[in-house]
Amino acid sequence: MIRSVKVLVSLGALLITPSLQAEPFENAAEAVEYRQNAFSMIRANFGVLAGMARNEIPFNADEAKTRAQAVYHLSYIPWQGFVGMGENAYEGTEALPGIWQNKADFNNKAEALRSAAKELVEATESGSMNTIRPKFMAVARSCQQCHEQYRD
Amino acid sequence: MQVRVWDGFIRGFHWLLLATFLGLWFTGGKIEHIDRHEQLGLFMLALLLTRIIWGFVGSESARFQHFLAGPKAIVEYLKAPREFQRFTHNPLGAWSVVALLTVLLAQVGTGLFTDDAIFYRGPLAHLASSDTLRLLTVYHKQIINFIWVLVILHVVAIVVYRLLGKNLVPAMIHGNQAGEGNQRPPVIRHGGWGYLLLAVNCIWIFYFLG
Ligand code: HEC
Ligand code: HEM
Repeated sequence: MIRSVKVLVSLGALLITPSLQAEPFENAAEAVEYRQNAFSMIRANFGVLAGMARNEIPFNADEAKTRAQAVYHLSYIPWQGFVGMGENAYEGTEALPGIWQNKADFNNKAEALRSAAKELVEATESGSMNTIRPKFMAVARSCQQCHEQYRD
Repeated sequence: MQVRVWDGFIRGFHWLLLATFLGLWFTGGKIEHIDRHEQLGLFMLALLLTRIIWGFVGSESARFQHFLAGPKAIVEYLKAPREFQRFTHNPLGAWSVVALLTVLLAQVGTGLFTDDAIFYRGPLAHLASSDTLRLLTVYHKQIINFIWVLVILHVVAIVVYRLLGKNLVPAMIHGNQAGEGNQRPPVIRHGGWGYLLLAVNCIWIFYFLG
């Protein structure tokens, strides 16, 4: 009896292990930390553009381009952190359960950010704040539209 | 006989408050209007602070001490509203004034400590921890519901008075009210002092927080 249980357990472990290895996180806490850190990096880079768009710091075309590229590349990063652990209410997250109930819509909103960020990068090629500013706002709106629905 | 009940500052304050409130409502929650929202919010802060100071040093009819009354006065007023003859807010309206000023002040106050997690932080956000900012940002989004309740009650009350035969609005426009009975008219201070105070408050608020 004991032996057959052991066999079953190790068989089960064999079956489960490969899928566990596909997950980069040991537990929900790590996933939360990962995505929050990714968002913090997005914000830090976006913040420099915001400073220029709102005339708080002097406009610098190269700097604007670098930051826009960073936002664009980082806009691929947070989503791996939204692994299937949302239902377990976990302390320290502001992600709402709706994310896991409407995964398709959530992914659309992430895609909306990526395409807005791409247009922002293209606008920074112009080297003109008047071209950049509306694209900057479009990115900000895409952040807001997701947060309104999926961030507590 | 016409009696001056609201000085020029109170009247200007009221309609500026209405306009600023509508502007804040329109710009609130729209990230592309956040800078305008902040400016209007700072102006709102100046309006409220000036009104509160005016409530201690302004015309008698505008002074809190003059119009705030306890529960007994409210009950008496409710029993015989038509006998209320003083040239200021009635005992019930008085508390609605205080309630409105309080929630509006709470709204601007929390607005100073907001963080939208995108690119905006309120002018005093650097003084608070990120947990506090999150909490106050949530409050900022909730208090507006209380404000709407009070504003709607306020406007409904004005309409109800009208239906009961008392039109309060003209006095808020031209300042005068028909003087009945033998109540002494309130001591009125020139509204210009109120506007001077408002200008001073605008200057330091926009200087330090703008
Ligand atoms: C598709 C949805 C989505 C988009 C688009 C999005 N976010 Fe978020 N963001 C979230 C969610 C969900 C959280 C909550 C994460 C958590 O707490 O687990 C979050 C959290 C954050 C946080 C807080 C991180 C922390 O330390 O707790 C910041 C800052 C942030 N986002 C910035 C941005 C910025 C800036 C943009 C746009 C450039 C953006 N986000 C676009 C969904 C999104
Ligand atoms: C169409 C809209 C409005 C009308 C017709 C109106 C009318 C009035 C009137 C007639 C009074 C005097 C009440 C009295 O005699 O006791 C008053 C006072 C007041 N109202 Fe309004 N109001 C309106 C909108 C608002 C809004 C939106 C706010 C707040 C955001 C507001 C805040 C106040 C305050 C604080 C007072 C007290 C005034 C003072 O003593 O300083 N009102 N209002």
